[in-house]
Amino acid sequence: MIQEARQYRTGLAVIGSGLAGFAASVFALQRGIRTAQVGNTGAIAYTTGYLDLLGWHGDRLLDNPWSGLATLRQEEPDHPLSRISDQDIRDAFFGFTQALSEMGVDYTPPGDRNLLGLTPAGTRKPTLCMPRTMVAGIAAAAAGDRTLILDIAGLDGFSARELVANAGASWPNLRSRRIIFPGVDAGVRVFPEVMARALEAPAHRQQLAGIIRSVAGDAKYIGLPAILGIHRPDRVHRDLERLTGFTLFEIPTMPPAVPGIRLREMFEQAFPARGLTLVPQQKVKSLELGKTTARLHLNDSYGKVEIEAETVILATGRFLSGGLAADRHRVRETLLGIPVSQPESRDHWYREDYFDLRGHPINRCGIRVDEAFRPISESGRPISERLFAAGILLGGQDWIRQRCGAGVAIASAYRAVSFAAGCL
Amino acid sequence: MNGIHIGECETFETEVLIIGGGVTGTGVMRDLALRGIHCLLIDRRDLNAGASGGNHGLLHSGGRYASADWETAAECRQEGEILKRVATECIEDCGGLFVAVAGDDPGFAEQFPEHCRNAGIPCQSLSRAEAREREPGLTERLIAAYRVPDATVDPFRITLENVNHAQRLTGSVYLPHTKVTAFEIESGQIRAALCQDTRTGAARRILARQVVNAGGAWSMEVAGMAGCRDVNLLYSKGTLLISNTRLSRGVINRLRPPGDGDILVPGGTISLLGTTSDTVTGLQGIRPTVAEVERNLDQGIAMLPGLATTRFIRAFSGVRPLVQAAEGIQDGRQASRGFTLFDHESQGLENFATITGGKLTTFRLMAERTGDLVASRLGNQESCKTALEPLPTGDGVRWTKPGFSARYWYQRQDPTDAVLCECEMVPQSAIDAILETAPGAEKPMELQAIGLRSRVGKGACQGAFCSLRVTSYLYDLGHYDSNEGLVRAREFVSERFRGVRPVLWGEQLPQMELAEALHCSLMGLDRLDDLASGLGSVPGVGQE
Amino acid sequence: MTTGGGQGVFKVIDFRAMAEQLLPEGANYDACLNCGLCSSGCPASGLEGMDPRRFIRMAMLGMNEELSSTPWIWTCTQCKRCMYVCPMSIDVSVLVGLARGAWPEERKPRGIVRSCQAQLRFSSTSAMGVRSEDFVEIVQEIADEVRAEDPRFADLEVPIDKQGAHFFVNQNSREPAVEPEELAPLWKIFHYVGADWTYGSRGWAAENFCMFTGDDSAWREMVRQRVEMVNELRCQVWINTECGHSFYTLWKGVERFGLQANFEPASLISYYAQWIREGRLPVNADWNHRGIKFTLQDPCQLIRKSIGDPAAEDLRFVAKRLVGEENFVDMQPCRSANYCCGGGGGFLQAGMNEQRRIYGLRKFDQIQTTGAAYVLTPCHNCHTQMEDIGEYYGGHYRVVHFWTLICLSLGILGESERKYLGPDLAGVNLPGMGSARS
Ligand SMILES: Cc1cc2nc3c(=O)[nH]c(=O)nc-3n(C[C@H](O)[C@H](O)[C@H](O)COP(=O)(O)OP(=O)(O)OC[C@H]3O[C@@H](n4cnc5c(N)ncnc54)[C@H](O)[C@@H]3O)c2cc1C
Ligand SMILES: Cc1cc2nc3c(=O)[nH]c(=O)nc-3n(C[C@H](O)[C@H](O)[C@H](O)COP(=O)(O)OP(=O)(O)OC[C@H]3O[C@@H](n4cnc5c(N)ncnc54)[C@H](O)[C@@H]3O)c2cc1C
Ligand code: SF4
Ligand code: SF4
Ligand code: SF4
Repeated sequence: MIQEARQYRTGLAVIGSGLAGFAASVFALQRGIRTAQVGNTGAIAYTTGYLDLLGWHGDRLLDNPWSGLATLRQEEPDHPLSRISDQDIRDAFFGFTQALSEMGVDYTPPGDRNLLGLTPAGTRKPTLCMPRTMVAGIAAAAAGDRTLILDIAGLDGFSARELVANAGASWPNLRSRRIIFPGVDAGVRVFPEVMARALEAPAHRQQLAGIIRSVAGDAKYIGLPAILGIHRPDRVHRDLERLTGFTLFEIPTMPPAVPGIRLREMFEQAFPARGLTLVPQQKVKSLELGKTTARLHLNDSYGKVEIEAETVILATGRFLSGGLAADRHRVRETLLGIPVSQPESRDHWYREDYFDLRGHPINRCGIRVDEAFRPISESGRPISERLFAAGILLGGQDWIRQRCGAGVAIASAYRAVSFAAGCL
Repeated sequence: MNGIHIGECETFETEVLIIGGGVTGTGVMRDLALRGIHCLLIDRRDLNAGASGGNHGLLHSGGRYASADWETAAECRQEGEILKRVATECIEDCGGLFVAVAGDDPGFAEQFPEHCRNAGIPCQSLSRAEAREREPGLTERLIAAYRVPDATVDPFRITLENVNHAQRLTGSVYLPHTKVTAFEIESGQIRAALCQDTRTGAARRILARQVVNAGGAWSMEVAGMAGCRDVNLLYSKGTLLISNTRLSRGVINRLRPPGDGDILVPGGTISLLGTTSDTVTGLQGIRPTVAEVERNLDQGIAMLPGLATTRFIRAFSGVRPLVQAAEGIQDGRQASRGFTLFDHESQGLENFATITGGKLTTFRLMAERTGDLVASRLGNQESCKTALEPLPTGDGVRWTKPGFSARYWYQRQDPTDAVLCECEMVPQSAIDAILETAPGAEKPMELQAIGLRSRVGKGACQGAFCSLRVTSYLYDLGHYDSNEGLVRAREFVSERFRGVRPVLWGEQLPQMELAEALHCSLMGLDRLDDLASGLGSVPGVGQE
Repeated sequence: MTTGGGQGVFKVIDFRAMAEQLLPEGANYDACLNCGLCSSGCPASGLEGMDPRRFIRMAMLGMNEELSSTPWIWTCTQCKRCMYVCPMSIDVSVLVGLARGAWPEERKPRGIVRSCQAQLRFSSTSAMGVRSEDFVEIVQEIADEVRAEDPRFADLEVPIDKQGAHFFVNQNSREPAVEPEELAPLWKIFHYVGADWTYGSRGWAAENFCMFTGDDSAWREMVRQRVEMVNELRCQVWINTECGHSFYTLWKGVERFGLQANFEPASLISYYAQWIREGRLPVNADWNHRGIKFTLQDPCQLIRKSIGDPAAEDLRFVAKRLVGEENFVDMQPCRSANYCCGGGGGFLQAGMNEQRRIYGLRKFDQIQTTGAAYVLTPCHNCHTQMEDIGEYYGGHYRVVHFWTLICLSLGILGESERKYLGPDLAGVNLPGMGSARS
């Protein structure tokens, strides 16, 4: 079969399509850089939709993440967030949430304090920005207002009763109720994604609104699992509020959940329209770093693809996304074998106690970068002048325990892009 | 039977108190119940909390002991044959191989058939090609292979069925989370056992005519509480690994003097590689370590090269109580695997017995011997029936068998039967059956107890998802109205983690990362305590 | 569930072992995280209890007997959306294909089996049983009509077996079999751009149901015959007509069975786009001054499973040029993330109408949400399925081929070629109204 390898040339190639990769593309497009992005589903597919900056530091739940950052800079100078100024972090969050809002998922801009987002279990999560569809829950909780949490027959792992049992102590007017989603037989399993897609159609919204009205009683707020649309969540949300007459808010669900799918599909939709070359759902097989350009090799379902780029941002994530991998003895970076700072042996990767509040050392391992966010070799020198890195692939942070996943991803992408821009 | 409250203390009465809900204790319970005797079984935790929940699940043909311990080998063979008849549901008669690889002592291998013959164990020599045809995963560097009638056994199901049957026969009772702490002794008789509810701390007093100590590795400690100094045990810790999928058709044993990582046993849908053997001095903090896992793997790979790239999902450890025979034996592997029944008459007690040592394979015989002693002490003339009477099953006790719930769900074709554990495909109806009818556990039953009685939490994700889904379901059923359900979920996944920790590399590492993100970043289980107390103290949080 | 209904005995296959051999390097079912993204994003989830994650788990649990006989496999359209959303790139359709192949022939859904058998019977490889000689005859007849009807096409050529033609073009049997007048628009387009093309008298049929029966040797045989014909004519480019799976089955078959193909496989869509860009097909949306809304179905066989987003971009470029940017509304999700319509994988032929329509309900919702009056799609299967669900669920949209709109826009779409257009477009830009090539 005669088949030519497809070739692209670009100013910046972003490897990875998690939050860091997407953020890097957003910032690159904002700067007018010719960009290509490659990557498949990663951690982003599982996220709550909340964009955390820094939620916990040491033993403290952070009301103010910015003062938390000040402490972090003193106590953990190697933390990626310690190496980025408040101003840059703020600009990054502003730029990113604004882009999200423009592309179709409205987000709150970064504020001075953390928001306390609800979790599906009814516990609370300190975070900086959230989708507009989730915001009303915060006010409802803060005021302890009359609120009805709805869950849905056939949606496993989301129990309104559980949520009320856990959040109810500080929220006396909280009630729960189970409904049947229109068009779904009672008790038959139904995924949030399926409901969210159905609600894109006005007819299904009408039906759901009718059900909500019939059970709402004297509630002022209605909380639902995150199912309010995929493509145009804000329109679905507004429309349902109009149809029901109540203030509605979404609560994240456990994976497979809608907020991450929303973001991924939104980017896949919006980027090509903005001139970005996107190779979705594929991984780069190898990366050659030359003197003047870098060359990415990959295969999509149809065959070979080659991308020649002047600069590259590596945002391949950690174990879940495949940026890091480990055999029985060592952790390695998968694409280039960039040195990974890590504990000396597997016995030290994890602590004995799962919930040890200090977190597990393996979560802090990762690649190291210089002040321009270029990965460095053992000698401390950059591996290449044109290779930059961003996201949770960077060592020195524990995004899971510190609740700083999006923060690390977005802020480091912002810095990496600005340095990459300097090379173009 | 319900406890009667006398003052601060709940009091129970029974004919025979059995201490230890392992396979031996529950075996004794059923043995006695078949003789018409009422028993009360207690365990400081829950069923199979000791070696019975931490073993290889190999129903020994005896081949393993044929070369060094002729008596144990013959005992295993006989008992294996009996169990294959009476406990069909719990056993998979998959057969086994003994194989030697280049570098192993060929002399040892050569003598194997003869040793088997002496112990009455059928043993058939296979060519290299035949062996690899049967087990394609075997190394090319085989030098000898023999086929023996090894089988596998589900120790959870055996235990559950024992208790279930005993309850039905004589209304015998099982109390979990009940730890014996002392005995009231009067003129050569134990009058009562003083116990503590290990969850609430409440005291319990159990009056019994006879007391059986089936405390496994803890039986020395329990005997000591009654002032008996005759039980002298060696503790041998063993660690095993569980693979994500089944790796072989039958059991594969390394044909050499027992060592680490030399047996691979299928467990229905998975396989178990083990085991190490290390003498330990105490029973505290027993958990599998990275070093033990590595030893198993290094050895196992020589026999089955594919183990190098196998996904393992968990490791676990158990402690073998080896009855110390002669002075000076320090290596657990050299001590006898035989069992000992102590009547403690030499210690001045007439209604106390300790049964310990032995094997899962021989538990029935151990229970028979104990039953004979206890029954005769009670003046009961009935003889042992366990060698003939099949072990009945029941709706609440059939869920531990790997692959069973998936088949059940698939065949049932009920679209409203939600699958709460996707890895093992455990549906809601299974959880309901367990909650309603599974033998003995606190009410309402906790996630841990459900996990013990099913495959919940035992698949690839090791409870990452199902812990949360089952918890939500328990909330839906109204079991909790506070954060207690989350606390229990946290306990459950913490417990799972102890076993997962040493096998975290390769494919299990992303799985773990996802689990931790789910439990901590998404659900906030790591900060449950802070969140419960601290929320109110965060002023004004939540203004944009 | 109605499958073939025969009594054959199921052959039990070892899915885990087989999958290990079939999967590309680096792919591995052991890597599954049980996260459920695949199930959540699969349009077949729930049909007969089907769910891709459960398929994988059952394979891993060794439930070979169940998987070897489950009717699930006929509700999966092998659209590979599960793989697309999976972080580990796990491909469930490989297992589905395996199971289909192992089913006893007489139990397989008869419609798919018969289609494949028909393909094997004649040198035409036509699933609808159109013989080569009939095809040649029909082509000539219709070509004569076109030449007679429209003077601009008086010298229209429809070459068959033209040695050394640049393009070899395949043809879905549906047109020669049931709607021959639908053959003409594509010829007119080729004529318009002056393309050097040919049909083959053998192996011309596009459709390939043998892949969907899971019968690899039949699939291979189909591809072999077709490749041979193209090789024989020494064409440089094999253009696949507006049909999804025929594209996938050919190039994938060549790759999978290691066949020697001396040509480049291409989609017609890419050429539409190229010719428009080059000015050779000067289409415009002037005819759509009333602002009729159009949406687009990305055939998974062509986009996600084959060329990917570049082809999706071409589709959009062509569509927007044809109907006007402002009149184009994308379906959601789309491009490589698109949902299969539910007609693929042989579902349309399988006779399982109830399940197929449930599968298609999601597509119906997506179409309705766009508010479009027409769905454009370059795939015959998609076309039929979307028409069917539209009718069944009471939608008011119509489904059209690209060639229809291209010819409409160019003013060369004859009256008899408007079968799929509604009354709103029946009279628009009729030839003779003076808007053709200036
Ligand atoms: C269950 C869960 C809940 C979460 N909740 C939150 C939350 O509430 N708030 C929050 O802020 N964060 C949350 N996160 C975390 C958030 O998703 C991550 O912090 C963030 O996505 C990290 O971004 P990243 O881009 O660095 O890495 P990832 O998201 O891991 O992305 C890495 C990307 O690289 C790609 N890749 C890897 N190798 C290659 C290669 N060779 N070629 C091309 N591409 C490659 C992967 O496919 C992937 O797309 C959550 C995560 C999980 C798992
Ligand atoms: C690593 C390993 C692998 C093995 N593999 C095999 C094998 O493949 N085949 C085989 O046949 N045998 C095997 N064995 C041996 C077999 O597991 C044991 O012989 C058998 O399980 C012992 O059962 P038990 O009931 O006597 O003891 P246990 O199962 O240990 O039960 C003792 C119980 O007593 C309870 N208890 C302790 N103290 C108190 C107290 N104070 N109050 C109340 N309750 C108390 C404990 O909680 C525990 O549940 C293996 C053993 C180990 C350790
Ligand atoms: S999406 Fe992939 S990893 Fe997740 S359950 Fe499906 S196959 Fe497994
Ligand atoms: S190939 Fe398509 S229909 Fe089949 S399981 Fe995957 S997503 Fe579902
Ligand atoms: S019919 Fe269309 S949408 Fe469906 S599988 Fe085929 S190409 Fe895909």
